[in-house]
Parts: sequence; C-alpha cells; structure tokens
Amino acid sequence: MNKLLLVISIACMGVSCTSADELEYEQYLVNGEAIYKAECANCHGQKGEGLRNLYPALKGNGALENSDKVICSIKNGISADKAKSSQAMPPNAKLFDLDVAQLVTYLNKEFGSNKDKITDKQVKMALDNCRD
Amino acid sequence: MLNRILAVLLVAGALWSCGAEDAQLPILGQKTTDENGKVIEHTIPDFSFVNQYGDTITQNLFDNKIYVSDFFFTSCPTICPVMKSQMIRVYDHFKNNEQVMILSHSIDPYHDSVAVLKDYADALGIVGDKWQFVTGDQDAIYDIGQNAYLVTAAEDTVAAEETGGFIHSGAFILVDKKKRVRGLYDGTLEDQVSQLIRDIELLLKEEDE
Ligand code: HEC
Repeated sequence: MNKLLLVISIACMGVSCTSADELEYEQYLVNGEAIYKAECANCHGQKGEGLRNLYPALKGNGALENSDKVICSIKNGISADKAKSSQAMPPNAKLFDLDVAQLVTYLNKEFGSNKDKITDKQVKMALDNCRD
Repeated sequence: MLNRILAVLLVAGALWSCGAEDAQLPILGQKTTDENGKVIEHTIPDFSFVNQYGDTITQNLFDNKIYVSDFFFTSCPTICPVMKSQMIRVYDHFKNNEQVMILSHSIDPYHDSVAVLKDYADALGIVGDKWQFVTGDQDAIYDIGQNAYLVTAAEDTVAAEETGGFIHSGAFILVDKKKRVRGLYDGTLEDQVSQLIRDIELLLKEEDE
C-alpha cells in the first residue's frame, strides 16, 4: 500500500500530472479498498459478488445510489427486523468518519455508477441524520 | 489453531507420501487399546441434534456416508461466510453423489433456532438432506467439536469481540464411512478445500474396494 502511494507520488513529481485532489482521491481508493477487504469482503465477496441470497452483491447494487443511506448502514448496521433478507448486517462502530468516507468512495468507484468522492464532513452530516 | 491444523496436515502429508503407491488418507486421532489389547481407532461417538427442518438427527443419518463437518453460527461476521462459500463448492461438487453429506453445527444455539437455520439454508439455496445445519445443547456441541472432531479446543484466531466471544475454528473435518476422522482442512482457504474435494474422491474409491 505504501509502495503504491510512493509510486503515485513519484509519478506525480516526474510529470506535473495529477492535482492534489486527484492524488487524494487515489489515496481514498487505496485506503477504502483495504477497509473493504478487512470489514466487508467476508460477506459481500472480494469482488462485491455477494453470497447467493444470504449476502447481497454490491456490484451494480442500486442501494449505492444513496450514499447517505449506505453510510448509515455501514456505521449502524442493518438489524434483522429491518433487513429485506432474513440476515442482519453488523454495525461498524469502530470506523472513523474518514474511514467511512474512504470506504464509500471506494464502493462508488468499484461497484457503483457514481464516482463521487465522499468527504468526512459528508459522513458526519449523513450520520447525524440517520433514520434510526 | 491454524498452525495446529497445518502441523497435523504436515505430519499427515509426511506419512502419506511414504505410501505414495496406493495413496491413502491417514486415520487421525488418538488410538486406544481395550482390555484385550486390541487397538481401537478414534471414531465419532453417537450424537443427537435438531436440523433445519426441525427433525432430530443422529449418527444413523450418516451410516455408510462420507461427510464433512464444521462449526459456525449464522450471525458470524468474520470467517463463517467465507467457510460457507467454500463449503458450497463441496456441496456443488458432490451434488449428485448420495454417499457424501455435510454436517454444519451451530455453536450459537440460543440465537440459531430451527427457523433461523432454515432461513440460512434457504438463502444459500440448500435443499434436501445432503447438507444438515444443526443446533442443540451448547455443551454437547462444544464437547463433540473438541473431543470427537479434534477442533475448537484452542482459542480462536479471530479477535473475541468480532466473533461475539464464541470459540470456533475454520476447520472442515472429513469423516469416513467408519466414522473415523481422515483429514482436517482450513475451510477459509480455497486451496485446502480443493484438496478436501480431491481427498473425498480418494476416499470414495477406497470405500468402493
Ligand atoms: C455479516 C455479513 C456482513 C458484513 C460483514 C457486511 N455486510 Fe453489508 N449487508 C449484509 C446483509 C445481510 C445485507 C442485507 C440486509 C438487508 O436484507 O436489508 C447487507 C446490505 C448491505 C448494503 C445494501 C444496503 C441496502 O440498503 O440495501 C450495503 C451497501 C452494504 N451491505 C455494505 C457493506 C459494507 C460497506 C460493509 C463493510 C463495512 C458490509 N456491508 C459488511 C451483510 C454484511
């Protein structure tokens, strides 16, 4: 991971290529992927393919259109009684806002249709407005 | 725990390669001798659990079957989903072979009721009797895991707060028609599960002779 960052920074020194924003976006993707692999891939699959009807696929999942709702689901989980399937999704209370921002940025890029970068401010706002 | 499994596999592998001509799986577990000096191999003792259909099942269901056993719980966020996706490979591979079965024990019987197990099996697309998801007395399940299937004795490799404090291992245990343990595999690793599938095929041939 550090190596990748190094490569990116070197690449950017050589040519005056990427802007600071783009560099930050790349960082978000790298960190977001690491969080995804550690916290989510067990259930949703390494490639977002899901596991039959037990855990939904994230690839192409329309739920990703609504980042605020995704943020709430990640942080607070989905209890079994609210879940569409019979399965609950566990909460991830220990993730910081920045972690969630990087994770959702990665989800959007990798599995969704919008390539928006999510900021930690957006995460905070969304979390303040989660419907229980 | 994983190291232990590896150690067992290594030893097993070492023994196995000596007799490579007629490849045979090792027979695992402690052998004992009875009062007449006869050697008794380690076998799975009788048990009684309730499956996803609400039926009480005993060892009779596995008479003359080769089966793979594991331990899990439905709300487990860590290694169980990966184990289940790997076990599905075993299920699919032997779908049409009635001699092969799967026995998954819940180690969280308070939460994993019959209805919960049924939902879980349904969501995985499991039908019929081939794959049994069972619940029962927690002590009995822990006991059979440690003493019969030779797993779960050591503490988990996964942090307790993530497993909900449950002790479990990611092992798949291969049991032959004589109820002897013939292999332990790490059910979270694709390679090892491929080996398990090959070993089941080997065992099927052995039993045919
Ligand atoms: C223990 C397994 C498990 C883990 C780990 C898990 N999820 Fe889920 N996830 C589920 C289940 C089950 C559902 C479906 C709930 C339902 O039926 O509404 C779900 C649903 C979702 C949805 C769709 C929500 C919706 O509104 O339809 C998203 C997005 C999602 N998960 C993202 C994640 C992310 C990101 C992580 C990692 C932080 C994660 N999940 C970790 C089991 C899991």
